[in-house]
This record gives sequence, structure tokens and C-alpha cells, in this order.
Amino acid sequence: MILLQLVIDGLLLGAVYALFSSGLTLIWGMMNVVNFAHGDFVMVAMYVAFFAFTLLKIGPVLFIPLAAVVLFCLGVAVYYGLVRHVMRGPMLAQIISTFGLALFLRYSALWAFSANFVSLPDNLVGGTFQFGELRISAAQLLAGITALALTLGMHLLLTRTDLGSRMLAVSEDRTAAALVGIRPDPMQALAWGLGGASAGVAGALIALFFYVSPEVGNSFTLLAFVTVCLGGFGSVPGALLAGLAIGVIQSFSAYWLGPSTKDVVVFALFVLLLWVRPQGLLGRA
Amino acid sequence: MLLEAQGIVKTFGQLRAVDQARLALEQYELIGLIGPNGAGKSTFFNCLAGNATPDEGRIRFRDTDITGLPPHDRARLGLARTFQVPIVFEGMTVRETVMVGAFLRHSHRAAAAAKADEMLEFTGLTAQANVKAASLGTPGRKRLEIARALATEPTLLLLDEALAGLTSAEVEVAIDLLRRIHQRGITLIVVEHIMEVIHRLTQRVIVFHQGRVIAEGTPAEVTADPDVIEAYLGRRGHRRHG
Amino acid sequence: MRIAPGSLAAAAILLLLAVAPVATGNPFYQHIAALVVLAAISASAWNVIGGYAGQVSFGHAVYFGTGAYASLLTFDKLGLPPIAGAPLGVLASFVLSVVIGLPSFRLRGHYFSMATIAVAALAQVLVTNWGFVGGAIGLMGPASPRSIADLLFRSALPYYAIFLGVLAVLLACTWLMQRGRTGFYLRALGSGEQAAASLGVPVRRYKLYALLLSGAFTSLAGSLYAVFVGFIDPDSGFGILISVNMVVMSALGGAGTLFGPLVGAIILVPLEEITNAWFGGSGTGTAYVAYGIVIMIIARFAPGGLAQLWQLFAWRRRRAA
Repeated sequence: MILLQLVIDGLLLGAVYALFSSGLTLIWGMMNVVNFAHGDFVMVAMYVAFFAFTLLKIGPVLFIPLAAVVLFCLGVAVYYGLVRHVMRGPMLAQIISTFGLALFLRYSALWAFSANFVSLPDNLVGGTFQFGELRISAAQLLAGITALALTLGMHLLLTRTDLGSRMLAVSEDRTAAALVGIRPDPMQALAWGLGGASAGVAGALIALFFYVSPEVGNSFTLLAFVTVCLGGFGSVPGALLAGLAIGVIQSFSAYWLGPSTKDVVVFALFVLLLWVRPQGLLGRA
Repeated sequence: MLLEAQGIVKTFGQLRAVDQARLALEQYELIGLIGPNGAGKSTFFNCLAGNATPDEGRIRFRDTDITGLPPHDRARLGLARTFQVPIVFEGMTVRETVMVGAFLRHSHRAAAAAKADEMLEFTGLTAQANVKAASLGTPGRKRLEIARALATEPTLLLLDEALAGLTSAEVEVAIDLLRRIHQRGITLIVVEHIMEVIHRLTQRVIVFHQGRVIAEGTPAEVTADPDVIEAYLGRRGHRRHG
Repeated sequence: MRIAPGSLAAAAILLLLAVAPVATGNPFYQHIAALVVLAAISASAWNVIGGYAGQVSFGHAVYFGTGAYASLLTFDKLGLPPIAGAPLGVLASFVLSVVIGLPSFRLRGHYFSMATIAVAALAQVLVTNWGFVGGAIGLMGPASPRSIADLLFRSALPYYAIFLGVLAVLLACTWLMQRGRTGFYLRALGSGEQAAASLGVPVRRYKLYALLLSGAFTSLAGSLYAVFVGFIDPDSGFGILISVNMVVMSALGGAGTLFGPLVGAIILVPLEEITNAWFGGSGTGTAYVAYGIVIMIIARFAPGGLAQLWQLFAWRRRRAA
């Protein structure tokens, strides 16, 4: 039974990883730009959720979409204000730009909120469900299901809608897309917006059962990287499967090796992936 | 036999980009490689240059099997290439860019600089020697591609659509440059879409279509070949206007 | 030539700056001066692989930490003066460069940068959980000097002199490198790897050369830091901020230029000290808010850093004249 418990816990958490990672993979696939600040987007969303609840007294039903909207706007703003310009510049600029953003977000939060953890009340979303020997917290269940649904929704958006086709066209070949009348800028801005929104929802969901602190950005960014690496750059279904897998791996390693190894396993897996995965599967030609 | 390729096959997933392609090139030749877009000539070209490894087949350069050899080793052996979209070294001047090529045969700065200046003179870029390479327009960049490849003192030079995007006047200058390169004793393989260039410059043409060599001969022979005409679907090539 | 225009003026200013701390006699300024030069060493070392060769590493702390720990482990376990551990640190850095650096060179651009972050993060976590090297608590240096070799000085001036010497050697090596074939090859592979390879540049080999030099001096900087501060722990050795400092300073001054990292250090180190003083305890993070903004501004407006702005300014002056 403990096995099943670990798997379920892993899948629920993994679904959330999948959600924000799918945002990252979208951005990445669209323009071969890595958002080093992606984990910090999640962190910002967590604070939005926390303050929406404590200051505005609104519940998850409202603060989850709120976080999505705020982060959507942040993503679009980052694109128009920063990314669009550095894309045309030297490689160094492209690489350090979002890293600078990460620093800014992380240390602004540290300055404003100090390093103390805060968290939403435990019983915000129901209690715990019991199925025989299985215990599933309502918060994690909600998070997992919502994340899964939204990730699938993103996949459908990209593959079944007109808008999605336009975005994929730009990601495939920017110049060709422009030649057939698809303007790349709005599509890329939209990718950043959706990337932000996915981090937004994920962050708000995570805040339901995890502590909020300015430092979480680093781990989440690396998590997102591993997930995207494992699932394939630019592939949302890949990010989903990989996210679920990583969630389960973390769950098992926390149980077998101790909770402090949670990050180690992810980092080690990442390093291994980057070494072992043939270069041809990384990124686009 | 300077360059010999046999049974070259390269697949990408389901697509056979290059299917049993072959090539036989003697030194001092000037041959053209043509074919409609997607015909596989770029992939084949990349296999010759070392930027792609064929799944099957062998390539020999001067009796050395170079099939799996990386590009920098090929350059060392005397096989150089230019890129269709010129790759600019950010932050470097025109002269510095050419010096990168010159350093292959001249390890000291002064000698490399001298060689670079010689190549700048040859390609008509001396006036822009101290200008940042990134500030050059397309024709300048294309000439720079050639200049720095020449600085490696190649025996064989592979040109990937070196004349694409040039005005008719610029094409004239380029054709003259290629002729002068050939006169220096450098063997050339020219991938081109501009049929006028093929007719005026090349002695022999190889035509690709759907990954295979469908015709080979003089420009006149090849353009009259019904298979070739059909491959291009009636398109006889066109002269680009800037 | 990659030396900023007006090299005579620059040399005069540098000489002035070098002498100033000695002249003022103010211990606080002398301490800052030592920190500036120490930071300049790691930043200049990073610059070799990150600036000239264009392989943007966000995990160079792995070399810094190696050097720092090598020094204090030599003291802790063998009782030798910490500085004796510096050559060990350099040797270890060579091993790291080959074992970790070389495989990661298969990755280009962003992927390489990500890999460096992951490796440094992994190193930090491993060191935190390894009792032999002090775990989360870290290691300390000698409390009082047993001999001159312990390099425990009351004044910051001797440190300043040592650091200046090391920086001078590093910059000399870098200068020699960048004007010869190695420099050209690194710059080429940094901005156009495929094209460089087609011109005969053995890309992997040259990346390794750059990394060996870069890692060695970063490790040396770490060793010197450990000697200077007398303490190291996983965060001050392998933390992301160590890596960030190197990148920001180089980028601000001008990555890929000889004196860019030094200029960046001269500006940012005192700034960091000032913000730490202003904001007290909670201030440790504030400098990095500014760093983040600085990086974004540089990336957006002047990727070549201050060196680029200087060249623009000098060019405009020449045009006006």
C-alpha cells in the first residue's frame, strides 16, 4: 500500500510540475529561449495567492485565476520589455537577460518579505480523503487534477485551435510564418503570457500545501528544466509525462533516501540527462 | 581523384533526405550541384563538408577516408566551406575574421595577419578591413565568408549558395571572384539556384531530386534533360534581381 | 586590440588605483580594495571562458568552492598553512574541467548554462551533506598565525598586494592569449561555433584550454578568499551568488574585454558593501536586486557593457572632432 501512496502522491505533485513546465517548454519551443526566471514566476504566483488570501480575503476559487492573470501580464511584459530585444542580440545578452530577471524577482521578494516562510492555512481546501489505507489531502488532489486538466487544455489549445496552429507555425519557422501573414511578435508574446499563466496557476496551487518563500524559485526553475529536458523541448505532452515521472521519482526518493535528498535527486537526474541524452534530441536545429 | 563519395544515404526519421548519392571529383574541376528545394543537395553538401554524418556510404578526400571526420579536421586536410546564411563572428573586425581562417596554417599573429590581408585584397575587402564584420551587408558578408575560407588555403572549396540574394551587378562581381579562385588552382563545388551562374561558371553539373542524383553532365546537357525539367516542374531557374 | 582606447590614460588610472589604498592609510578602504581585487580575479577568470569563449557559465562557483575547500582542508586535516592547499585546488580544478567541463561542451548556449547551474547546485548539496568537509557548518582557518606562511595579517594591505600580483599574472596571461591564435579561436567559437569548426578550429579542445585556465584561477581566487576570510561553508563556497558575482562584474565592465571584469569589480564591490551597510541585516539581498536590474539593462541596451559604451563615446568624440 505504501507503494501506491507514494505513486499517487508523486503523480499529484508531478501534475503541478507538469503544469508550470509546460509553460516553460512552450516558451522554449517557441523561440529557443530559456526562461531562467520561470521558477521565480511560480514564486511570485505563490505570493500573489498568499496576499490575495490574507489581505483581500479571497479564496482559492478567485486567487488561482488572479495569479494566472497577474503572471500572464508579467510574461507578456517581460517579452515586450526585455526578451524581444535581446533575441536579436548576442548570445551572452540572451542568456543573462532572464537570469537577471530571476535575480531581480528573487531578491526583491527577499527584501520585501524577508526569508521567513509563510503559508496558507492547512485547512483551506477541505481535509484529507481516506481510501482504505490511502491518505490523499484534498489540497493536493485539487492541485493535481486542476494541473492535469490545464496542461491537457494547453495541449489542446496548441494542437486543435487556430490560434494554436499559428503559434506552432511561428515556433517552427518564424520567417515562414511571417510570410504567410502570421505576425510572430504577438504569438511569441502570447507564448510568454501562457508560460506565465501556467506558472501562475501552478504557484497558486502549490501554495495550498507548500510553504511560500522567496528562495523556492531556484528549485522550481531546476525542476522545470529537468522536466522539459526529459519530456523534450517544446513538447507539452512530453512535459506532462516527464512532470508526472519526476513527481513520482521525488516521492520515492524522499521516502527511501530522506526528504532532504529531494533536490539532489532532481539535480543529479538533470546532470545525467544532459550528459547522456544525445545532442540531436536537445533543442531544435 | 580529389573527392569521391559513394552510396551516401542520410535519413531523418521517415525521410530519406539523401538516397544512394555519389560524386567523383578531380582536382581543378569546377562543378555545380543543383536541384529543387528539398532535393537533398544541402544534406549531401553537409555530408561532404562534415556537418552531417551519412548513415551509409563513404567519402574519400585524396585517398583519406573522411566519412566520419569532423569539420575542423577536414579543413586541416584542405577542404573548406562557406555557409548559405553567413555566420558572423560578433565583435570581430573583417580582418580579424579572416585571420581566424589564416591561423590554420600560420600559428603566429603577424603571419596570419599578412595572409588575411592578402585574402582581403583578393576578395576586394581591404577597404573594410577594420570595420566590424557585423556591420557588413549581405554581399559583404558573403565575400567575407569566402575570404576567410580561402585563408585556410584549401584545395577544395564548397560554396553553399554563395550568390543567393545578390543583385545582378553583385552576381557579376561574384562570378568573377569565383573564376579567379578557380584560376588559383582551387577546386570548387558550387551549390546554386541561379542557373545563369551554373551555365557561365561550371564545367559539369550534378542534379539532385528527392535525395538521388538524377542527372550529370555539362550545364547544357543537364538543362535539356527531360528528367531534370520535370523535377523542376517547368521551372527553368530564374535570375534573381536584388 | 581589445584594450580600451586611451590605453595610456587607462594605465595611469590603474596605477593610481593600485597605489591609492596604500596612500590613504584607511583600513576600511584597504579592506574594500582587497575585496575588489579578489573579486576581479574570479571575474577575470570567468571572463576567459564566459566572455572570450562565449560559454556562459552560471556555475563557476564549483571551482571557487573547490579552491576554498582545498585550502582549508589542507589546514584542517594536515595542519599545513592554508595557502599550501592552493596548488591542490588548482589540480582539482583541472580534474573538474576535464571530467565535468568537457562533456558539458557538447551543449550549446542556454543548455550549457543550465548544465553549469545544475552542477554547481549539485556540488553545493553534496558538500552540505558530507561530514568530512564540514557539512553545513563548513571549515575554519587558523585562529592565530603560526608562521608567516599562514598569511594571517592584521592589515588588509599584504592581502591587497598578493591579490594584485595574482590579478596581474592572470591579466597578463589573458592578454597574451587573446592576441594570439588562442584568443582568435576562442572568440570565433564563442560567436559562431559551426563556422569556426569549418575554418579548422578544434572547438572542443580550445574550449577545454579556456576552461582549464579559467577554472584554475577561479580556484586560486577561492583559495585566497579562504585565506583572507578564514572560513568557508557550502554557501560561501559553492553558492549561486558566487557565480552570479563573476558574471555581473564581467558583463557590466564588458565581457570579453581585458579590463572589463576589473572595472565591474571596482564599481560593484564597494556598492555591495555600501548597500549592506545601509540596509543592515536584511540588506544581504538588496545588492542583488540591483544586480538583477543591471544585468537586464546591460542585456537589453548594451551587451558589451561599459566597454561598449566607452567605445561608443570615444567614437562619437572622434566624429565630432
